[in-house]
Amino acid sequence: MKIGFDILRFLRPIERSGFRQKAGSCIFCKCGGLPTAATLAILMVGGNLLAADVTTDFTAANKLYAEGKFAAAAAAYETILQTGAVSPALWFNYGNAEFKLGQPGRAIAAYRRAELLAPRDDEVRANLDFVRNQVTGPTLRGSGWSRLAGGLGILTLNEWTTLAAVAFWLTFILLALRQMQPAWRPRLRRLTSGIVVLTILSCGALCAAATIHFSKPVAVVIETEATARSGPFAEAQDAFKAQSGAELPVLNRRDNWWQVADGSGRIGWLPAKQVEVLPGA
Amino acid sequence: MVLKRKVFGMEGLRGKAFLHRCGRRLSLAQVAAGFCLILFWWAMVPAHAASFTASLDSDALTLGQSATLVLTFEGGTPQNTPEVPDIPGLQISYVGPTSQFSFINGRTSSTVTHHFTITPQRTGNFVIPALAAEVDGVRLTSQPLQLRVVQPSTASASQIDSGSQIAFMKLTIPEDKVYTGEIITANLEIYLRDDVRNFGNFQFTATPADGFTTGKMSEGQSRRVQIGNHVYTVMPVTMALTATRSGTLSLGPLTANLVLVIASQKRSNDAFMQQFRQFGFGNFGEEQKQISLATETVNVQSLPLPTANVPPNFNGAIGEYTLTVTAGPTNVAVGDPITVRIQIAGRGDLGSLTLPDQPAWHDFTLYPPTSKVATTDPLGLQGTKTFEQIVAPQNANVREVPPFSFSYFDPDAGSYRTLIEPGMALAVRSAGSTPVPTIAANPTAGPQSPVRSEDILPIKNDPGVLGQAGPPLVTRPVFLALQAVPVLAWLATVVWRRRADSLSNNPRLRRQRLVTRLIREGLNELRQSAAANQPDEFFATLFRLLQEQLGECLDLPATSITEAVIEERLAPLGAPEPVLSDLRELFQLCNQARYAPIRGSAELNSVVEQFEKAVGELLQLKA
Repeated sequence: MKIGFDILRFLRPIERSGFRQKAGSCIFCKCGGLPTAATLAILMVGGNLLAADVTTDFTAANKLYAEGKFAAAAAAYETILQTGAVSPALWFNYGNAEFKLGQPGRAIAAYRRAELLAPRDDEVRANLDFVRNQVTGPTLRGSGWSRLAGGLGILTLNEWTTLAAVAFWLTFILLALRQMQPAWRPRLRRLTSGIVVLTILSCGALCAAATIHFSKPVAVVIETEATARSGPFAEAQDAFKAQSGAELPVLNRRDNWWQVADGSGRIGWLPAKQVEVLPGA
Repeated sequence: MVLKRKVFGMEGLRGKAFLHRCGRRLSLAQVAAGFCLILFWWAMVPAHAASFTASLDSDALTLGQSATLVLTFEGGTPQNTPEVPDIPGLQISYVGPTSQFSFINGRTSSTVTHHFTITPQRTGNFVIPALAAEVDGVRLTSQPLQLRVVQPSTASASQIDSGSQIAFMKLTIPEDKVYTGEIITANLEIYLRDDVRNFGNFQFTATPADGFTTGKMSEGQSRRVQIGNHVYTVMPVTMALTATRSGTLSLGPLTANLVLVIASQKRSNDAFMQQFRQFGFGNFGEEQKQISLATETVNVQSLPLPTANVPPNFNGAIGEYTLTVTAGPTNVAVGDPITVRIQIAGRGDLGSLTLPDQPAWHDFTLYPPTSKVATTDPLGLQGTKTFEQIVAPQNANVREVPPFSFSYFDPDAGSYRTLIEPGMALAVRSAGSTPVPTIAANPTAGPQSPVRSEDILPIKNDPGVLGQAGPPLVTRPVFLALQAVPVLAWLATVVWRRRADSLSNNPRLRRQRLVTRLIREGLNELRQSAAANQPDEFFATLFRLLQEQLGECLDLPATSITEAVIEERLAPLGAPEPVLSDLRELFQLCNQARYAPIRGSAELNSVVEQFEKAVGELLQLKA
């Protein structure tokens, strides 16, 4: 079965989950790396104001949650997320609210997004595992990719990228230093070898992490019960059923349908509105 | 045209002789290509005018069976898929088109067929009206079709007892009285006579149930019974039914289709074939037969639930149940979550069970419960439903988890019952001493490690480091372009190092660059000395520059350069006389300056120009 396709094309809409550490970093780049002090000050003040607003809204949403108003809390978290602000805690709390509303699918999707941002957060992992244990029916089980993803999951994709970039820069700085100061070469030899090995390893890990991230997307069923069909149209025959929270590997996309597998060899098409597609992790 | 006609003539196929007769020089490939082209054109001409017919694969059906309506277009393709109008009592669904293209004796024909499945909803005679379609601009009409649908016949008791029925079904409901909302089971038995070798494609075609909702079905263990002179294989099927209203409820007649494999009536008398069959080769002597089966209608009386002695927290549970309640942890702070696990086990509609209101829990914050059903029988009527209710004590005065009560209606006893689990002691401390929740998970364990917590961990109070959603770094063009910087820097140092090494290994090149720099700087000094009218410094510098430039050109030490070098070294190298005379004149000016040092700035400037000219000529000579 042909499953090779431009996965990047349809992953673009879901890349919102990527994490940018500083609000103004991209603008810095557009300024050619030479931000003026005024620009910097404006961005810092703007960023602080934004953070203050989000923190206020976040606290209000937490209060709704504590009062047991989970629907209102979930809506409040969602409103914050719609502003573009993201943090692991925000997705985590949103996942909690959805879980309390009896929406394990949306909760799992939120926890996975939190895990993408903070893979070493034990609380996120604990809640994700807790909700996953309650999901019945076909769902993603431990595969070679998932084990590899588990090993690479100690760092986010951006952290792997940063590590590889730092090692890459260090390698070439050392190589340049060896050209500029030939007398230092014997002393730099071992350090250079170590950094080159680190660069190769980190770039390899980055490639693997990026491959999983971009080409192994996962569809999380957010409807109570979704019926996968044998073709991408509503009149097609039933292929299999998946419960809310089922995590199914995505094979293809056509219009508003996602082709997924259930892990036992069955393949079906799910309407886009019944699933939330996340990068592989 | 002459050429074409001759090509199709028999003698025309005899190669070169024909070509010569045509008086034209055509290659064999050209003739073959022309032949193929003509054949292609001929083939594309439709053989017949378009036609449109409609047909049914069967014009008489038993209720529950389906027929296929085939609309056939020959010699053309309809512009749109033909539409079949809605006919009351018939469910018509479009299956899809097929097309056929044939090429026989040089003539083409195309056939496009559209298939529809017609499933009757009731008995009666139906007419499928004439259908119209437009093919190649021509409106074509099909003939109307008749379809007769009859009720499947139920085998009578005498037919069954005589053993004349090859297959039949029986439907029974053990209870003759049910309560509204109660789940009961119906038993369906499918009887197949012993001469049925195999069967398949069993499909219910109608399961009418008035006042019942049907649930899961389960197939039981088959058995064999003797009826009349035949042995029948009985396959029991049990189905769950829920009474939805009071009054007389009916189930059936259930109708089903199945295909039987039976011994053929036309058995071969050929001795060889019988021997062949005895050795187990092939399925000779068998035939398949599709039959429709139907049951009788079974009626059941449904009673409403009693209105007397209804427990206050009864919420519609009907069946027979037991109750178990556990809670933990029991030593908590105010606001801490406590998981109360309520297990209701027994027989009934477990899926629809809900937790009743518990007025005694007013000192607790209640969160929506989660539930999980574990059934122990194929019909899903027996098992356990486990609710997990998260509660949080609202004050430190709470001393126990209150008793929990659950009421249900027992249809066997015809009365309501209430189960009560006693309360559990609880130690609640004030919120100020709330310990920080810790994660039991091993941080070194992978994501697959099981988490043994009983509920999700609470929300985070701190939003943490807020960022803006954006694509990963590795996909940002600016970031990727930035990675070229260290590579370019390294390449620059490599080039620099190569040039430095090359210079250090080439003293002449090094001296050439040094002299070039000295001349450039010396010219500035000369101009300054000329402007300041300092002839001594001017000529001293001029002499030094002449020595440096000539020394570099002749590869001699600068200190060894005098005017004599011009005749001894430069002239033999073939330097032009104007260059030599310029140099001589410059040396002589330097010598004369020692005796007649007083000169004006203008004259000194002209000497500078003369020196620049001489240096340029020397460099050209060297090149």
